[in-house]
Amino acid sequence: MNHYTHILPRIKRKWLLLCVALLKVVLSALKVDDGKPEPYPLVYPANFGGRFTIPADNPLTKEGVHLGRMLFYEKQLSADNSLSCGSCHQQKLAFSDGRALSVGVDKSLTSRNAMALVNLLWVRNFFWDGRSASLEDQAVFPMTNPHEMGQSLDESVRKLQQTPVYPALFKKAFGTANIDADKIRKALAQFERTLISADSPYDRYLAGTYQPTSQELRGMTLFMEAPAPERGMRGANCGHCHGGPKTFKELFHNNGLDAAPKDTGIEAISHQASDKGRFRVPTLRNIALTAPYMHDGRFKTLEEVIDHYNEHLQESATLSTFLRGTSNEKGGKTLLLNATEKADIMAFLHMLTDTTFINNPAFSDINYSQKQ
Amino acid sequence: MRNIRNIGYRLLILFLSISLLSHAQNTATLSISGEVLTPLELKKEDLASYKQQTYKTKGKEGKEHEYKGVALVEVLEKAGVTLGGKLRGENLAKAVLVKAADGYEVVYSLPELDPEFTTNVVLLVTEKDGAPLPTGEGPFRLIALQDKKQARWIREIRAIKVVFVKD
Repeated sequence: MNHYTHILPRIKRKWLLLCVALLKVVLSALKVDDGKPEPYPLVYPANFGGRFTIPADNPLTKEGVHLGRMLFYEKQLSADNSLSCGSCHQQKLAFSDGRALSVGVDKSLTSRNAMALVNLLWVRNFFWDGRSASLEDQAVFPMTNPHEMGQSLDESVRKLQQTPVYPALFKKAFGTANIDADKIRKALAQFERTLISADSPYDRYLAGTYQPTSQELRGMTLFMEAPAPERGMRGANCGHCHGGPKTFKELFHNNGLDAAPKDTGIEAISHQASDKGRFRVPTLRNIALTAPYMHDGRFKTLEEVIDHYNEHLQESATLSTFLRGTSNEKGGKTLLLNATEKADIMAFLHMLTDTTFINNPAFSDINYSQKQ
Repeated sequence: MRNIRNIGYRLLILFLSISLLSHAQNTATLSISGEVLTPLELKKEDLASYKQQTYKTKGKEGKEHEYKGVALVEVLEKAGVTLGGKLRGENLAKAVLVKAADGYEVVYSLPELDPEFTTNVVLLVTEKDGAPLPTGEGPFRLIALQDKKQARWIREIRAIKVVFVKD
């Protein structure tokens, strides 16, 4: 168009520019009204890395995340309308429930401890045994398990379709008011992918904006380093499996809870003897908020957890090789940390508590005030 | 009558053996998949047909061990991975992703394994000091002699996947 402009009189050019500007305004207004959901921008620190996959058929959108958040706290997804995902995954407890095992709609107990939901974007295999390969798949288990929310997805679809609010929310998120099981799973997965915790004192230390206390620094060193008594180096080697800026690595180990475990973990699904007692190595983010600990919630406090690794590991054929023969004393069979060192590690573990995350209004029950 | 009882017993035994089989422990295998012509599911015994190599080397704990195994590149060749004359062009953007039972993963590039590119050898080992690798280390492990740090000497390997690195 440029080669025409020079022959246009100045006034006409002005009119033309005005028309183009007007057209732009009209077009942008139309764009807002085209009903397409808006992309949801994910914000996370660069040191978390980009190793995650968002399914091509379930991109994150603001409308999808909003719907997922509504569904996460929706009790109509349970058989007796008493439980939502948020019942066992409470924000104030970093999306755990403070119980060893959780109570389902049939008042029975779940077989394993409800996991904290945090930084799930970077998790590739879900549950304590890693049996589920995506958040979309994972969501089906608790919703339909008779000992958890206990309701078929068909029934959930039927209930939601009859509400005044949900058909419109599904239309905004997915372009159709026809609710189906697939869209329920997708919306929940979208919301869960946004549960990013990246503002703990440890994150701020890594970003250079927090100066840890000397006890926290000592704890950090002990946490990250492997003991090497021959070099006079003391450590607890926690970071071997729990290290990195996310304090999460996608690993599965037998951490020596039992010599003969009743719950055999991954072995139950893989039928491989070497998987006996092998469970997820969970994230340590917000770990001070997610008691009790382990897949069966057997330890009430973090002190008990540290004592376990320090002096109570149970030997078995499948005990993680990384937990064997690691000691701070030459020829020692256990870690042999002293009381001060244990307290130092505790101080570091508390650096992983992210109060911004547990108070983030974007993650809370949106209907809470209305339901009161 | 006796016949019917016999058939009954046989059926019972059949059902029992089927249910036993379905609960039996799976034999640990190593899968080779991804950008291959022939996906492989290898048992430890399957490596007997390859050229055996032994290497003495110090483990992390400082003790010397004798490891026995085969060159990883030979197994990849058997699966039809683009090596040798075919390791050119876009095939140079392929990586070998090695996955362990605990979820640990490491990557090698194809030229790091191909004898036309390097004199280094990465061994897929199954024996240590004359015995099968113990639980927690075996049945399959990699030994990368050229690596000063042993982080890629990955234990308990379950899967090797040849992938294109996509950006």
